[in-house]
Amino acid sequence: MYHKTSTYWARGIMTALFLYLVTPIVVTLIYSFSTSWVKTILPSGFTLKWYSQLITNADFTSSLLRSLGLGLLTTVIAQICFLPVVFYANVYDARVKSHLRFVTVLPFTIPGIILVTGLIQLYADLPIPKLLILVLAISLLSLPLTYQALDNAFIGQDFRAMFEQALVLGDSPLKAFIKVILPNIRAGILIAMLLTFTSAFGEYVLTNILLGGNFETLKIYMYRLMQSNGQASSVLTTIYFIFLALVSLILIVIMRHYAKHDQSSQKGTHN
Amino acid sequence: MTTRLKVFFPLSLLVVLVLLLPISVMIVASFQGGDAGFSLDNYRQVFTNHYYSEAIRNSLGIALITSVFSLLIAIVGAWSLTHLSPSTKNMFISLFNMSASFAGVPLAFSLIILFGNAGIWQALTTALHLPRFFEIYSLSGTTLAYTFFEVPLGILFLFPVFEELNPEWREISAVLGASPFFFFKKVILPIIFPNIIEVLILLFANAMGTYETTFALTGNSIVTIPTLIGTLIDGGLTANIPLACTFATLFALVMTALVWLGNRVTRSKREVAA
Repeated sequence: MYHKTSTYWARGIMTALFLYLVTPIVVTLIYSFSTSWVKTILPSGFTLKWYSQLITNADFTSSLLRSLGLGLLTTVIAQICFLPVVFYANVYDARVKSHLRFVTVLPFTIPGIILVTGLIQLYADLPIPKLLILVLAISLLSLPLTYQALDNAFIGQDFRAMFEQALVLGDSPLKAFIKVILPNIRAGILIAMLLTFTSAFGEYVLTNILLGGNFETLKIYMYRLMQSNGQASSVLTTIYFIFLALVSLILIVIMRHYAKHDQSSQKGTHN
Repeated sequence: MTTRLKVFFPLSLLVVLVLLLPISVMIVASFQGGDAGFSLDNYRQVFTNHYYSEAIRNSLGIALITSVFSLLIAIVGAWSLTHLSPSTKNMFISLFNMSASFAGVPLAFSLIILFGNAGIWQALTTALHLPRFFEIYSLSGTTLAYTFFEVPLGILFLFPVFEELNPEWREISAVLGASPFFFFKKVILPIIFPNIIEVLILLFANAMGTYETTFALTGNSIVTIPTLIGTLIDGGLTANIPLACTFATLFALVMTALVWLGNRVTRSKREVAA
């Protein structure tokens, strides 16, 4: 009997949590389709005009492109910085990992607002493009996500043996890495890239304070709209949420796809 | 040796350029007085100025209440999550991940639609002739806003720990004649307690460092340490970057100490257990 009542409670609690987290999002979604919804319990009517208005706006397109560019650059830099190190730590020297642990708590000890203070103090008057500093700084702050996703990719296989066999067979280290290691950690790399991209795409604090109004990304545009045009802002918020949902969906698909792969090779150990 | 260098070069360069150098310069600048000599004047101001102490009080208050409250919900939530079927479990984990990424401007905007001056909550309370007992732009409103990302974050941190608890342990201890309370106190609590403390510290630190949600929700009307730093950096006439550096230095110092302490708690317990 114990198990039944606790399952019952668990379902109730999760339903309550679901409603609590989803309500603001659903309300924003309905708001974005409403003709007007001010000081009334229900909107006065439904329309698509706010969507067509926002999407045809040049500011929207350019801010979207800036955020996409920022996301892509950051993703590439984060991979360049971390892929070799995580590979080395997992294959040759596990002690490196304990040194890397500082990275995982970085967003808590040095959050964006603290880091940006140091960046402004150091780079405000130096003739280095602020955009370059911004991309590097976002890469640094996204490292915990990159690190954990990549580190998970190395669980479960003997990469050292694989790598050294390739070396013995005459491949250069780089070639061996590309031919033997990369195909086996594809899923982890994809997940790491998606997570990094998402965090950079939605970055606000660093971009806003470091570049001010000179570089309007999607989030900064969203904030500007929020001050002036509630309907347009609700559309943008909805689009942003759909983007997050899509990323989650892709993540689930990747994990399912590769989990199936794993199961077929080691049947019986799962379930 | 050269391959080792090649492997670590990009990461080291990144860490030096946008972490070590800026943070060192920030710490040095925090000791700069008006005449660019060494001075503790900024530190004195932080602790004596009333406006600044209000920021510190607000930050500590909001962070303490949200982190404790969110932790309690997260414990119940993580426990419930372990009771669901694997596919529902995954759906919820995705939801929590999304909610955590939704923090900031989008969250603030959603809450304004819901609870703001022209919002639905307002219409509802007016229609039902209820008193207006809740204001989203206030301290309590900000505290509520933080829970929307602190709770999912807490669940995501705690869930793996709860998953590791083996349901068979309960049966074993029951067979051996232990009461459920004894089982909870002697078996479950020693395992999860250090993790709970660590998660509490992380949630607290996360709330302390929150800038985007507070700024988007309240502008500069609610002053916290992060929004104060923001104003000190680009506040036009009132800009005072060395003072911003002082706040940031103190913040980094205190949070690093706290997080390090939290890490110690879990690790020493683990070593005892092993």
